[in-house]
Amino acid sequence: MQYVIVGLGGQGILFTSRVLGHIAVSRGERVMGSEVHGMAQRGGSVISHFKVGQYESPLVLTGSADLLIAFDQGEGIRNLHFLRPGAKAILNLHDPAALENVHLKKYATGRGLEISGIPGYRILSEKMNGRFLFMNVLMLGAMCGIGAGNVSIDEIRAAVGTLAPEKHRADNLKAVELGYEYFRGN
Amino acid sequence: MGNKVILLGNEAIARGIVEAGCEVASAYPGTPSSEILPAVARFADELGTRTAVEWAVNEKVAFEVAATASFTGKRTCAIMKQVGLNVAADPLMSVAHFDLAGGFLIVSADDPGPHSSQTEQDSRYFAMFAKVPCFDPASAQEAKDMVFDAFDLSEKYHMPVMLRPAVRVDHCRQDVELGTVKDLGRKADFKKDIRRWVCLPAHVRINHPQLNAKLDSVREDFETLYGRYNFEVPAKGRAALGVIAGGVSFSIVMDLLKAWNREDISVLKIGTPHPLPVKMVEDFIARHENVLVLEETYPVIEMQLPDRTRLKGRWNGFVPRAGELLPEVIRELILKALGETLPEEDSSELKAAIEELKVTPKPPMLCPGCPHRASFFAMRKALPNGIYPSDIGCYTLGVNQRDVDTTIDMGASLTSASGFYLAYRTDGKDQPVVATIGDSTFFHMGILGLVNAVYNRHAFVLAILDNRITAMTGGQSNPSIGDKLRKGDEGRQVDIEGVVRGCGVSFVKVVEPYDTKDSAEVFKEAWEHAKNNREPAVVILRHPCMLLRQKQATVKVRVNPEKCIGCKYCTNFFNCPGLPFDEAAGKAKIDERFCVQCGVCIQVCPHGAIEAVEGEEE
Repeated sequence: MQYVIVGLGGQGILFTSRVLGHIAVSRGERVMGSEVHGMAQRGGSVISHFKVGQYESPLVLTGSADLLIAFDQGEGIRNLHFLRPGAKAILNLHDPAALENVHLKKYATGRGLEISGIPGYRILSEKMNGRFLFMNVLMLGAMCGIGAGNVSIDEIRAAVGTLAPEKHRADNLKAVELGYEYFRGN
Repeated sequence: MGNKVILLGNEAIARGIVEAGCEVASAYPGTPSSEILPAVARFADELGTRTAVEWAVNEKVAFEVAATASFTGKRTCAIMKQVGLNVAADPLMSVAHFDLAGGFLIVSADDPGPHSSQTEQDSRYFAMFAKVPCFDPASAQEAKDMVFDAFDLSEKYHMPVMLRPAVRVDHCRQDVELGTVKDLGRKADFKKDIRRWVCLPAHVRINHPQLNAKLDSVREDFETLYGRYNFEVPAKGRAALGVIAGGVSFSIVMDLLKAWNREDISVLKIGTPHPLPVKMVEDFIARHENVLVLEETYPVIEMQLPDRTRLKGRWNGFVPRAGELLPEVIRELILKALGETLPEEDSSELKAAIEELKVTPKPPMLCPGCPHRASFFAMRKALPNGIYPSDIGCYTLGVNQRDVDTTIDMGASLTSASGFYLAYRTDGKDQPVVATIGDSTFFHMGILGLVNAVYNRHAFVLAILDNRITAMTGGQSNPSIGDKLRKGDEGRQVDIEGVVRGCGVSFVKVVEPYDTKDSAEVFKEAWEHAKNNREPAVVILRHPCMLLRQKQATVKVRVNPEKCIGCKYCTNFFNCPGLPFDEAAGKAKIDERFCVQCGVCIQVCPHGAIEAVEGEEE
């Protein structure tokens, strides 16, 4: 299982792979990933690679990722080429019209990609007082919502509960549910 | 044992350092090495070792502190990034000749790409230059294992040993095996011996041949005793290609071969690139007609081979002479070496979508609310015709709004200001020059440039952007803060104003950068003083870094569309992620996703279009 997680520096992307890693290791699987630290973190484009299974190198080859998680829709679209044919992507949308782009749709259809969007900023504005730092856990909930990522929502709940700092545990778990319910709610 | 946890490569190195019984660790932060030392402190606290763990003011200091502590028989290490090793080059070259007592490990983290550096240099090359052995890990686990071997090798031959992790190892995250601390039970015992510890020319004449002999022995060891780092993964049957690979390139090749399900390529992994186990490599080359060498970033393995004529590598440009060896690059190189091609992927629709949706990679920027942005704005407002030499830190990102005209390396803002001053002065011209430097960089290498400028009477303004932290590398402490890394270990704050005055500067003023009017006035005053008195004048702009998340007053702002004329002054000169320009509307707007309500932009708009939202001030 190979994940590519993209966004902008400061969005808390690293926590996402920590959660996925925690789940994998508790299942007894090997993990390997690559993170961005330093200058590029200052609001610029950032990319995290994360692999679960028998891999040697931390980087995902373009055209071979099973899932793309994008905290920013632009970064998501820019990095779709990482996906293998038939893979899934979950994008945090601030301008949902982007997914209607004709060329984008053709590309997705041609490669059998399933691209889903969630208005993460809007949801966090409305439901969590605009605290966008919970975007990372919201995206993990959304990932389970679209049935991607090879982990269950219960595993995400348990891992976030363990890894989130005590002070923010309840809010983190709430954001997980908001992401999940967007796709699974009624 | 068998206790596995997920660690960052740098944490794995740190864990190795503590487990191996290292008692003194000194470092200066720099990407991609910064996370090592804090993790050394954390593991030392957790495991209850007595290891001294310290941020040094620069890498030369770190190197000398750690190297000398090893003279007492203890294990020590100095940690830095590749350009930090340039700063520490002086002691590296001498200490290489010493007959050390305790194990001394140098960790120099490289940044192929580069991602966060001013060069793409290869520390293995430096190891070769200084004649010290070098380990090049391919993963976090291997990096940790190599720490033990590096210490052992250092003690076997009484010489410094380098571990060179590149960025993909430093910042990889992997499940790593934890061990326990090796209690060496050593007591500091410095045995005075001028012959051994004083680097006189007469001693070097003996030590240099001795160093060469040590290297020959290490090379023999690398040929035979280090099969866990230097080994061959043979092809099944006749090999169509032989790949010699070091560092993470090896890991990438192995993943590719597995994904391709190919068994007609043999791979020789080299984990000890200097001194190169030449016989092992020559034997591999002799058995393969077609040989590709993959290493980052200089041809260090290739250069140590007496005959490299048949190799496809960095040396002859078959492998690009610069840049990171990403999986896509390695894939192309292997196929090129085999004379094969992949079916072309049609990505024209994706390209068209990216173009239509105007999706571009976002460069790094100063954070919303960053005090540096306000400082730069005041600087430019006060001295619009100035030349602005700057330095290495977050504030280098001031280049986005053209508030940075030059950077060379740590501390060069001051010396560049001196250079500009002299060049214009010989024409009899008073050219305003403002050097900008952060607090940590000032302590690292700025002070010497300031003393030089006072002594030689160079007129310029020095702006010390004091955000109370080493920000770019992730928020490490430094002398302006005074905190230390280990629990219960107290440091002391060093007062920047006192240092500046002590260097002989008479104009020193501290301002709050969020008040851009006041700081602009002080900038003007400082330049007048510098010009009239022919001496540097210092303005200290003090406001804590936004990453520290300290509580500060918030001012909710909005752009008044009636007043905004779309002149883009704020975009060009303030350039805040929270204040983008809405091309469709032809006006600036507040982006609530990023705005932290610092309120500084209210002072920026020349048309008064950015307003505080009434009744919402806190």
